[in-house]
Amino acid sequence: MTRYVMTIDLRRCVGCQTCTAACKGANATPPGIQWRRVLDIESGEFPDVRRTFLPVACMHCGDPPCESVCPTRATTKRADGLVAIDYDLCIGCANCVMACPYDARSIVHEPRFAYGDTPTAAEAARFDPARIGVSMKCTFCKDRIDHAERTGLVPGVDPEVTPACVNSCISGAMGFGDIDDPNSGVNALLAETQYFRMHEELGTEPGVYYVWDKS
Amino acid sequence: MSMESAQSKSVKHVPSYCYNCVSGPDLMNVKVVDGVATEIEPNFAAANVHPAKGRVCVKAYGLVQKTYNPNRISTPMKRTNPKKGRNEDPGFVPISWDEALDIVAEKLKAVRAKGLVDEAGLPRVAVSLGHGGTPSNYMGTFPAFLASWGEVDFSFGSGQGVKCVHSEHLYGEFWHRGFTVAADTPNCRYNIAVGANVDVTGGPCAVTRHADARVRGYKRVQVEPHLSATGACSAEWVPIRPKTDPAFLFALIHVLVRENGLAKLDIPFLRDRTASPYLVAPDGLYLRDPQSGKPLVWDENTAGAVVHDTPGAKPAVAGSYRVARAVVVDADKERREYSDVEGATAYEMLARHIEKYTPEWAETVCDVKAATIRRIANEYLEAASIGETIEIDGKTLPLRPVAVTLGKSVNNGWGAYECCWARTVLAALVGALENPGGLLGTTVRLNKSRDNRHLSVAPGEDGFMVQYFNPTTKEEWQVAPSTRNLHQTLVPIVGHNGAWSQALGPTQLAWMFQNERPDDWSMPMPTLPEVWLVYRSNPSISFWDTRHLAEIAAKFPFMACFAYTVDETNYMADVLLPEATDLESTQMIRMGGTKYMEQFWDHKGVVLRAKAVEPQGEARDFTWITTELAMRTGLLESYVKAINKGISGVSPLKGEGYDFRLDPATPPTTEQVWDAVCRAATRTMSEGREEHDLKWFEQNGFFTVPMSRLEWYLTPTMEQHGLRYELPYQERLLRAGRELGRRLHEKKMNWWDEQLSEYAALPEWHDVPGRWIRNLEKAGAKAEDFPFWLLTTKSMQYHAGGNAAIEVMHEVAQNLRGHAGVIMNAKTAAGLGIAEGDRIEVRSHIGATYGKAALVQGVRPDTLVIIGQFDHWATPFAKTLEAPSLNSIAPMSLDLTDATGSGADIVRVAVRRMEGRAAA
Repeated sequence: MTRYVMTIDLRRCVGCQTCTAACKGANATPPGIQWRRVLDIESGEFPDVRRTFLPVACMHCGDPPCESVCPTRATTKRADGLVAIDYDLCIGCANCVMACPYDARSIVHEPRFAYGDTPTAAEAARFDPARIGVSMKCTFCKDRIDHAERTGLVPGVDPEVTPACVNSCISGAMGFGDIDDPNSGVNALLAETQYFRMHEELGTEPGVYYVWDKS
Repeated sequence: MSMESAQSKSVKHVPSYCYNCVSGPDLMNVKVVDGVATEIEPNFAAANVHPAKGRVCVKAYGLVQKTYNPNRISTPMKRTNPKKGRNEDPGFVPISWDEALDIVAEKLKAVRAKGLVDEAGLPRVAVSLGHGGTPSNYMGTFPAFLASWGEVDFSFGSGQGVKCVHSEHLYGEFWHRGFTVAADTPNCRYNIAVGANVDVTGGPCAVTRHADARVRGYKRVQVEPHLSATGACSAEWVPIRPKTDPAFLFALIHVLVRENGLAKLDIPFLRDRTASPYLVAPDGLYLRDPQSGKPLVWDENTAGAVVHDTPGAKPAVAGSYRVARAVVVDADKERREYSDVEGATAYEMLARHIEKYTPEWAETVCDVKAATIRRIANEYLEAASIGETIEIDGKTLPLRPVAVTLGKSVNNGWGAYECCWARTVLAALVGALENPGGLLGTTVRLNKSRDNRHLSVAPGEDGFMVQYFNPTTKEEWQVAPSTRNLHQTLVPIVGHNGAWSQALGPTQLAWMFQNERPDDWSMPMPTLPEVWLVYRSNPSISFWDTRHLAEIAAKFPFMACFAYTVDETNYMADVLLPEATDLESTQMIRMGGTKYMEQFWDHKGVVLRAKAVEPQGEARDFTWITTELAMRTGLLESYVKAINKGISGVSPLKGEGYDFRLDPATPPTTEQVWDAVCRAATRTMSEGREEHDLKWFEQNGFFTVPMSRLEWYLTPTMEQHGLRYELPYQERLLRAGRELGRRLHEKKMNWWDEQLSEYAALPEWHDVPGRWIRNLEKAGAKAEDFPFWLLTTKSMQYHAGGNAAIEVMHEVAQNLRGHAGVIMNAKTAAGLGIAEGDRIEVRSHIGATYGKAALVQGVRPDTLVIIGQFDHWATPFAKTLEAPSLNSIAPMSLDLTDATGSGADIVRVAVRRMEGRAAA
């Protein structure tokens, strides 16, 4: 079996939003839509204050709440662990947007462009009308994962088949790979560190592991 | 994605680089689909040579939008409204390149006809270039044009001195060829970062390395009034009172020297590599041998005073000793003779000097507990692991894995000399200066060779490195300034080695003195340049007192700007020249080696910015524009010869075994220039083994050769030359200050007297924050009306590169706190009735700025912070942000200018909520 997951080493993340911007570039999301972002969280009271950077996106849950509420079965969990949306089936009802405990989904009802109503050349080249009025979220760059299936390249090892955010991360905080593969990089990291998954108590079996210290 | 792949005819990945900020270059690929740039990607082909593994930071991901921004200037334009000012619509109208270039060339030719220098002795042409020298990585052959031109004034800075790490540049280069200074992060175990916001400003190389270090277990203590992103990633935050950093650092020295003592410090380093053993006379000058004039040390072997470089001597580091006969040399070479005089070693002078700066004293100044200061000092000393060694490329070197790094506004403006001195002394005390794990310089700019700081190390006076101060002797002092920022007249340490020396003069003086000068000014009156050329520079936003500055800019008689969009500075321009931007133009630069911030690599080489897409509109490659200007001003031959010398490229175009020189009589095409540069660069880098042309680089992007890590460390080179670092005692600076004072006073000028006080052999605490309070009181304001400090902090998303005009950078920046407004302490805000998101006024004694309150716990209650510099009024998109800026309300003032000519980003302010509540 294959179960693709992401690891995020919170010891490394500096909140720079490079992954946010790289995702926007790779997936051509419109202004204001971020399939992933880094939260800037503060706790404590002056002078005992902690400030933490927490990258968030779709958790590609093992038991995704978005899937069960989808009336058209547009949202499905794939065999390799990716939670995918079929835009042809999605009716934009937003049930999944409400059901997702990670605030990972969004719907755009009208085209939006960076500088007014007219798309730039880059925006025009990449505008996809199929994305209007449907639910969208991080796909783990599934086109790349599918490309791996065809080519034998290894997600998390070969950049061509690794999510854009992971490729872009300048602090090396992000990792990607098959957790069912005992030799994968994500397994090696998790074996030597302490980690958590967000809102694991909800039973969603999230596919993103947050590393916070060595074992 | 599906649409794109279904319809694509061609996809290519063009290798390039990002040099948006000084922390570059970093490598990237541009994905081009059917001739349109669609994505920025890392260049993993460089993963094994680039410390950040071929990755670029967030800014680079804005370059696609930057290319296709509809607000770009797409054709040359000329002004039709002869009146200039913020309220005067320039009336720009499109013109042809021929007309635009002819207008500029005619102005330049008129200058040449009259002479390059005007009646005041000042260059008639001024050039302003933006952020930290980064424009040179985009302006093609323009440096060759400037070289062929002759005298140019770089005085009108867009931020030099006030926005850069100015004192670090000057003193860092003076002490250890560290124009920029960094921790040896790959080996460091303990980093005291005093305002050093390296995870924001250090680029991918720094971010990668510090992340590795955190995982490895190093400790970084962040000392700053506001909890920055770097502070967030540090092990400890010490919220120090603004501008009291010297007191904190002095107390660290106190703990090392007075509480731990010499026996626990790196005695061999202090004895052999510093001036610690030099004997100081009671008058504060080095005791010297009467015959040779060399400084004396006390030889423990012979129990007598000997010259410092006596073979076999074992100089005493501490103590004071009686010397039978000696001389001192004061300002203007005045010699005084002494007999039976007591000489204290420089280290002894330091120990006496630092006695009063206890942690308990510092607590009263810094608002940091004495116990905290003491603990940090002791942790630093312990982590220094004095005695430990490391083997690098077969050579055994000391391993001293500790560093104190400084941030902007700590290492510029008043107090910065003290901070730079203290942190360099802290490194020297434990032998961490320019040794593995410790404190490293990475760049030289005021000395040569600029690509290898080791080559700048040569014997100078008194056993130290050679220095090239601006002369202060009666005969040689430049009484009539040759530049409008008076860099040779006022700042000895900045030297006169070319454009960097000029640019690091007191640039705010160039702006200030256009309007008013001190009453006792007795030099020629400064003139305005007849032609002002501006590139990647927007001082009307990025300097201080920006509204006033824009008024000055409006007075310049002729201004030509290389323009991306209309902005607040080029709003006053006569001609706009649209240059091809990052993804549209071609240029080769050096990469790797050791350079800015944490760009010290295991490789060195060159990288090409290849034209990935055709320029938008009528934008033209900078090299094409420059060649046209050279032709039209009659400078073609000298311009091409300058290119042949390597002034715009990486290497001379003729060298051992190769000759790619261009014909000086024929205007070269852009491709011809960079093809020759590519070939010469690879021949040079490979020592003749390889040659690659432009086509090869367009495919492969970069070329590197391995470099030993030994090149990271200057101390072995100092050892080879038998030289000492000029620490801890600053006799040279003391004398330079005395001479400069005499010169100014001989001309009946006292307006620089306060700055002269900075020339101290051992710096004292001098109530640095109080200078800002006194300044507003002098202006007639009451200190109690302005109870808060206002600071700035940088943003990786916006910092440099004109990114306030880039929509996606604005969008992603909003994920981080404070990017929309004014950061303030939540408890303070509650006391003032200010809620999150309220629109507030931040007012200094010269004006007000407005923004939304961003309430946090991670900032001192007495401090406000505004990120960046965003109160644009002309730049499209940016002007819609309604964001505040410190720059609008920070005064330019002689009182707030230190001896190097720099000032800090800080001002006293009041804050109040504007009427009406923020929408929920």
